[in-house]
Amino acid sequence: MPTLLQKLFSKRAVGNGNARDCSTAVEKCWASAEFDLAQIRLIVYQDCERRGRQVLFDSKAIHKLDASELTADETKTPPNRSGACHIGSQASEKDKPPTYQYTRPASDVNMLGEMMFGSVSMSYKGSTLKIHHIRSPPQLMVSKVFSTRFGSSTSGSTNTLQDSYESMSQTFPSHTSSIGVCRVPSAPLLCLARSASFFAAHSNPVDMPSRGHSEDGDSGIARSASLSSLLATPLPSPGSSFSSGCASSYQRRWHRSQATSLQHGPIPRWNTEEMFSLSDESCSSNPAMIRRKKIAISIIISLPEREEENHNFQEFFFSHFPLFESHMNKLKTAIERAMIVCRRIAESSQRVQVYLCRVMEALGEFRMTVWNLYMAPRISEPVWLSMISQSTERNPLCQRFLKEMSLLMDHGAKSQFLSALLTAVLTHHLAWVPTVMPSSLPPIKTTCQKPASQTVDLLAKSHPYNPLWAQLGDLYGALGSPVRVCRTVVVGRRRELVQRVLYILSYFIRCSDLQEHVQPQAQMENPANPCSSQTTDPTPEKTFPPKPDPLKPTACVIDKALNPEPFPGTSVEQNNHTLLTDTKSTNPSSSLESSTVRPGCAEMGQECFGEDSDSVGGGLEHILANQSPLLHRVQFHIGSPRETENEGQAGGLSGVGCGRGLDRKLHQRLLTDIRRNESSDSALGDSDDEETSQRELYMATEQKEYELPLPTCQVESRASVNHFGRSLLGGYCPQYMPDFALHGISSDLRLKQCLVSDLEHTVLHPALDEPVAEALCIVADTDRLSVQVVTSQRRVCEGGQLGRDVMVSNLVHTLITSVLQLYALNIASDFCVMHLEDRLQELYFKSRSLAEYLIGQTRVHVKELGLALGIESSDIPLLAAVASTHSPYVAQILL
Amino acid sequence: MNALVALCHFCELHGPRTLFCTEAVHPPSPSPPQPGPAIPGDRDREADREGEGLTMRANSSATQRADMCEGCRSLPASHPGFVSVDSETGIRYLSHQHPRQQQLFSVVRQACVRSLSCEVCPGREGPIFFGDEQHGFVFSHTFFIKDSLARGFQRWYSIVVVAMDRIYLINSWPFLLRHLRLTIQSLQNTALKVFDSEQCVCPQRAVRMNSAFSPAVFPHQRSGNAARSLTSLTQHPNLWASLHSSFSWLLKACGSRLTEKLLEGAPTEDTLVLIERQTEQEEEMSGWEGAEGGGSNPQPSQSESVQAKDFQFDDTRQEDLLGPKFKSLRHLRQVLGASDFRQLAWHVLMGNQVMWRGADPGLIQSAFNVLKALLPVGCVRAIPYSPHYEEAYRCNFLGLSPDVPIPAHVSSSEFSVLVDVLNVERGCVNHVSDDDILSLYQFNISSANTQATDKGPTLLNKMEVALSNENLSVEVVSLCLLCLKEEWMNKVKVLFKFSKVDGRGKEDTQKVLALLGATGPGEEDNVRLLKFWMTGLSKLYKSHLMTAVRVGERTLSQ
Repeated sequence: MPTLLQKLFSKRAVGNGNARDCSTAVEKCWASAEFDLAQIRLIVYQDCERRGRQVLFDSKAIHKLDASELTADETKTPPNRSGACHIGSQASEKDKPPTYQYTRPASDVNMLGEMMFGSVSMSYKGSTLKIHHIRSPPQLMVSKVFSTRFGSSTSGSTNTLQDSYESMSQTFPSHTSSIGVCRVPSAPLLCLARSASFFAAHSNPVDMPSRGHSEDGDSGIARSASLSSLLATPLPSPGSSFSSGCASSYQRRWHRSQATSLQHGPIPRWNTEEMFSLSDESCSSNPAMIRRKKIAISIIISLPEREEENHNFQEFFFSHFPLFESHMNKLKTAIERAMIVCRRIAESSQRVQVYLCRVMEALGEFRMTVWNLYMAPRISEPVWLSMISQSTERNPLCQRFLKEMSLLMDHGAKSQFLSALLTAVLTHHLAWVPTVMPSSLPPIKTTCQKPASQTVDLLAKSHPYNPLWAQLGDLYGALGSPVRVCRTVVVGRRRELVQRVLYILSYFIRCSDLQEHVQPQAQMENPANPCSSQTTDPTPEKTFPPKPDPLKPTACVIDKALNPEPFPGTSVEQNNHTLLTDTKSTNPSSSLESSTVRPGCAEMGQECFGEDSDSVGGGLEHILANQSPLLHRVQFHIGSPRETENEGQAGGLSGVGCGRGLDRKLHQRLLTDIRRNESSDSALGDSDDEETSQRELYMATEQKEYELPLPTCQVESRASVNHFGRSLLGGYCPQYMPDFALHGISSDLRLKQCLVSDLEHTVLHPALDEPVAEALCIVADTDRLSVQVVTSQRRVCEGGQLGRDVMVSNLVHTLITSVLQLYALNIASDFCVMHLEDRLQELYFKSRSLAEYLIGQTRVHVKELGLALGIESSDIPLLAAVASTHSPYVAQILL
Repeated sequence: MNALVALCHFCELHGPRTLFCTEAVHPPSPSPPQPGPAIPGDRDREADREGEGLTMRANSSATQRADMCEGCRSLPASHPGFVSVDSETGIRYLSHQHPRQQQLFSVVRQACVRSLSCEVCPGREGPIFFGDEQHGFVFSHTFFIKDSLARGFQRWYSIVVVAMDRIYLINSWPFLLRHLRLTIQSLQNTALKVFDSEQCVCPQRAVRMNSAFSPAVFPHQRSGNAARSLTSLTQHPNLWASLHSSFSWLLKACGSRLTEKLLEGAPTEDTLVLIERQTEQEEEMSGWEGAEGGGSNPQPSQSESVQAKDFQFDDTRQEDLLGPKFKSLRHLRQVLGASDFRQLAWHVLMGNQVMWRGADPGLIQSAFNVLKALLPVGCVRAIPYSPHYEEAYRCNFLGLSPDVPIPAHVSSSEFSVLVDVLNVERGCVNHVSDDDILSLYQFNISSANTQATDKGPTLLNKMEVALSNENLSVEVVSLCLLCLKEEWMNKVKVLFKFSKVDGRGKEDTQKVLALLGATGPGEEDNVRLLKFWMTGLSKLYKSHLMTAVRVGERTLSQ
């Protein structure tokens, strides 16, 4: 008899009466169509000042010579959709590496080279990214252009960064390649450069309570003095107030919107000096040696012929671009190394073979990863996201979830498998924390237990950030401080068991749900079309014939003053007509409406337009007396900029010094202040105060431009499909995946091969697009019933183990136990899930007391924590991680 | 979206130029501004800025102004630009020929030059993404516009979207491409109509074939018309206003294309009860106002809600009252002594009526504020100071003036406790500080209760551990108390669901008590506490559970 889970994950639709459940719960493939590995092409190009451009590699021009006993040329026969896409085995199993023949590059490489490097050489030193769309045959080309570097000299003093260097070199130990090439020093130095710039930009030291390092043997927790790795945390968030619901989520998003704001002008967030190393000699630091040479690495993806498949792939590609890019970076590192390695080989044909072989291997890996990313099965009904999105389905979902959980609990009872796994998941996938932080708002009626965060919603509207980025951070648990990212892999031969674990974890590994708002296809209605209404409806001009225009002479005079070249009067006239018709053709009451919202600006608008149309006899003097924008401009030109600037701020606002705090409350208060200021006259801004410049920019513009209504367009909202919540929760996959936040595999063979380097790569090139202090992976083995955490920071583990065993948190264990006991007592599953949430909230409250406790303590007494706060030593890692989402100082104190 | 959109043109005479630029200006933020002051509205200094950030064009800034032709211009210099305001969010969309901020000026200039003279697009028309951290990231779409007078009968334009969030911009590629194509096609089609009609009137090919070609004269040959504006190419009188609207909409729509549904935790029972009380009081008040013409006293509701909001921490409202006060539970415990405090706290937690009788209302109020923190908000009914006795069903905290008699049925009841606050030695008042309550007062606790108060409830036992540990700060203790209360409130919920909603039998209830950890020593007290606290559950929660059951029954019966 098939279990419920078999049905849930079954690939075949079951033809019984309960078909609805099955069809929605089938573990689905992401792609709607086959994806051929040969669709991915790699080109490496070199652009040298003296020697021009050279193709260094083109996968289209390479042929494998001894394909006979190989599994097959992997480009020819892609694995089928359900099958595994295995790689990595052939190279190790075979004695001889394959031989490749390099033929003449394809005819399009010249054009592609032009596209990669551009027609004009850029002086910019850092790496650049380009994406091209090629129409026929339909292809997408992603290229990264790097400046090259011989040797590994990085400028800048290292002595001030000694600490960070030390910690970083521990983090990224020497890469020992399989053929015995010793350490490539560029990797640690690269990251040093990054951390250096990062320190300069964001370091915001947190006051550390002074504490003695001596232990009194009683029950103190050992602390290390080295905090350097922890200091690498971006923008430590200020403490949040107790009652604020999604404080940490809010702050992450708020920081993001600020960090990527255009209003501050371009501020590089990363060190962009990433180069392409052509040598591993560490002493050739003579800058004269560095020639102007650039290397482009380009991935060209052939798009499916069919329109729908093409569309689907592009939607997937662009929404998942950070993952693609991260794999490209890995590819770049491999190519870099291949070039360095082959340089040591004297014999030229052998050198080429080694080079081709290594690059092909790296490309094979890249192709496989992309293929897997696109094709691997996903959990089609992740519990948490399904509960959010379909409130009507809640009861059956809860029932199913609890049933699976109690089955798993029974299965691994002896080893506390589930408790250990949930301890690890709750410790590292921290996105559950904001979902239990109590809201100060009442829930929306009784249908939904948890309210949606309104503060975050408001933020998204007023300061847009990338929701996909936010979601990715949620899934990887990057909410704490320092920023850590985590993935979970469930290993086991028993498919059903692994799928059960995945299903349960899809409740605890949380993220926001994304909705997409699309415009209906009626194209002429679309506001993006600037010529729609005007071309069809020319009436405004006829209804409102141009009046004698008092502005016109002024305009000409001023223009002459500014510009000796006579300016064609017709254009001015035309544009003034434009203004008139624009205001009149729209709803005449619009300016009145807006006046209720922002009187200041509407008044100004009425002045502009009102003078235009009403006071025909007013003439120039009248307008000048009214401080029209034109007059202002003239004054500006004549007078000193500073004076006129002050005058221009007649409607400005009081200069409230904002300080450096990014506190949410402050922010909200400012917002309301501004609204208030907008509706009332207020004092002149203090223009000397630099901190008001943003507000000046915002407000000073208010009085000048002609206001037009913002066009609206009907949107259809639908659940977004191309988001990480759907794509990074994998099912039982044929092969280990480096991207998924959660997935299952049958064997940990490849996991063991790749995991450590994958974690290191994650820290170097985080797909999250923000600096990451540590990358972790939870490995749950359902065969051995063990749970381990592997980290990028400690590579060597005792007994040849991959990671460390997880200590079961007593709080988590009792939590699960009591929820499942309630379930066993036949209490409604809906209620049991609510109770589970309440208990998770208790963990949050406990973390608050732990954080508060740590502030005042000079020593940490585990016994004291246990007696007074009910926190045992097994709970401390969990609670400290939770606390680090709302109190960033905690991790530093506890370390 | 945190981006700007610009229309750029490759002028036959002057090379790549920015024609029109729409920015989104967000409401000011408290974030520290970046170095380099923004100079708003400074378009007249654009000549100085024109050459900035360029590495590929040698145009000297002095000649720039003279180099402007009609084709390089959108709005005349006198035009103040356009603005659209999104009243919901406060975002302002501004359009000018150039961005108003200095840093952005060079960013856009760079994007413009790169899109039109550096980057290579197969077929010259199409989308490209490029950029770097230093100059920002750009989504560019190049396209041709028909012009009967131009070389090759067409002119080359691009629309660039510039942002600092690389990933966001790339994520938005399909959206931007879809909608910019609409914009571009619409411009192209409109221009094509103009082109066709012009060709009808005067076929240029014939004109050109017939005129003698002279390389020296060529650029100036058609100088009268060569640099035609986009307005003239499209014969669209409102072109710039329309483009402003299109670009503004694009920025807004791209920013709101994806929205997050992010859940936060359910509010605590305390919050819910507070909200319910506030609503009730508001309703009551509006009732009074209707009856008495608005002359009623709104004070109770306000003070209550303010006080209730702060209840987790020590109430600060009393600070305006003079005289000594209890500052925290620990303070109260120190003053009363451990055993009296234990007895008093026990009565509070069991839901018994706690009466304080004395001459100092401020002191009594402060005692209640401290003690209230032991209970869920929903369990607190306080009458701070009364000239006569109030029944237990009306209040579990009652302050009384010194001479108020306690009715016999109350003083003999085991469900009440009385604290008499007696003054001592009035003579030396001047020398003692307010903090030293014991030097001013003496406290007598009396109750008819015969039960032992030192076994349970578990909550109190744990609380006392925290209180007695001087190593823990007052803040830690209050958070610890909050944890304990939430923990027990969650048990209360389960018991409520089990006994009141589902109506289970005694045996099952015992099992639930065991799994909740309410059994063992102090079990009797734990159960009493749970039962008392049940009365403090919010109405919303109770009704939710009740309806959930009804819905469940209905689905079962179907």
